[in-house]
Amino acid sequence: MIGFCPGCGTALGEASFVQEFWSGTDRHFLCWCASCRLMCTVVIGALVGTEPEH
Amino acid sequence: MLSAEKNERLTRVGPGTPMGELLRRYWWPVATHDMATRVPVKRRLLGENLVLYRDGGGTVGLLAEQCPHRRAALWLGCTEEVGLRCGYHGWRFDASGSCLEQPGEPADSTFKDRISATAYPVQELGGLIFAYLGPLPAPELPRYDLFVWDDAWRDIGHAELPCNFVQVMENSVDPYHVEWLHGRYGNFLKELGGSGPLPVVGKKHVKVAFEVFEHGILKRRVLEGHTEEDEDWRVGHPLVFPHMLRVGAAGLATFQIRVPIDDENTWHVWYQTYRPEGGAPPRSDIPVYEVPLRDERGEYLRDYVDGQDIVAWITQGRISDRTKEHLGRSDLGVILLRKLYAEQMDAVARGEDPLCTYREPHEVIDLPMEKDKFGSAVEFRQLWTRESSIRYSPIKDEIFELFGDPVPAWA
Repeated sequence: MIGFCPGCGTALGEASFVQEFWSGTDRHFLCWCASCRLMCTVVIGALVGTEPEH
Repeated sequence: MLSAEKNERLTRVGPGTPMGELLRRYWWPVATHDMATRVPVKRRLLGENLVLYRDGGGTVGLLAEQCPHRRAALWLGCTEEVGLRCGYHGWRFDASGSCLEQPGEPADSTFKDRISATAYPVQELGGLIFAYLGPLPAPELPRYDLFVWDDAWRDIGHAELPCNFVQVMENSVDPYHVEWLHGRYGNFLKELGGSGPLPVVGKKHVKVAFEVFEHGILKRRVLEGHTEEDEDWRVGHPLVFPHMLRVGAAGLATFQIRVPIDDENTWHVWYQTYRPEGGAPPRSDIPVYEVPLRDERGEYLRDYVDGQDIVAWITQGRISDRTKEHLGRSDLGVILLRKLYAEQMDAVARGEDPLCTYREPHEVIDLPMEKDKFGSAVEFRQLWTRESSIRYSPIKDEIFELFGDPVPAWA
């Protein structure tokens, strides 16, 4: 999971929102930072990972 | 997936929880008009046990369930000309919670002046009784158009669903379920039963969009064979934050109101208005009916559109375990709604009024809604008056007559 805001670096704590979803083979995380109000989507692309069994 | 912590935050509605604090900033239907009588009744809203009554003077009151004297339930009570008298020892309270009488205490005692029951503001509008459980001053009760039109017929269906209200709300920003749950699964049941498929609901989605706006989330769709010029895209229809869906077509406009009873139960209200071109003839009554969940064999009813939705919501669990779900691009509306709840919880924590809080008196709040839905207003209206909870309405035959639609071939 994404633990810190990609915009301001603040921990995405209790009041913030992080939601995983999938687009094709890409794992996305929609993030909303309660500190700087940035909403963005982090796409796990360069990271070579293993998809867990569903 | 959503983390367990975020799921907890999203779904807990009791006092002191972030979602509970957000939801307490709104007026909630707590009963239909026929429930407030001289006989006090128990109601439960946002995890709080309440007692609703109408006293002899016609004033509707909503008090916390327990009497502040010896904690007996106030639904064990009798309404007087003014207020509600506890059945146990006769203490009497008015709708503001003030203690008016304490039989048994010395005549010159001032004890009653220092005692009050917990009381909540209530207002009646459009056949519903709304309650406000939040901090004062209460905002204005939003006068949404369907509640105040004076040239429409209305009826109200309701049912208690054994599941959290958020999974019900998520359905309202999940357009794809229509073509599958109602289009494919619903028509599969019809095939098995030997009848033909329903029109309209099986159309495939080409494109969907969601937009946060002043009333909540506006939902748009383009169905196969349609274009962006059609009203489904140009106008769309709203999820009214935080608790309603507006849906309908051509003179039929409805709210689906999702009222959190507590974390694991939702009171679902189907609020219909019928307003043909030029308005409906005068009608003063607003019939109320219960929507059954199960058939005579105890099986969940799923041979109609609302029944299919209900079973989908309930089978997600009392509180859907979102740590085990797998969302894709077709779930972006659901994600947007969750984010909006998170953002508005934060606004309340910072001392702000959340979205759809009205502080100024107003006559009516008009909401957008496509009239020519799914490419055929009449087809959609024929379908909805037969395949939604309206099928249980005591005035459904009068509604057919009001619109004068021909009986569809599939019915």
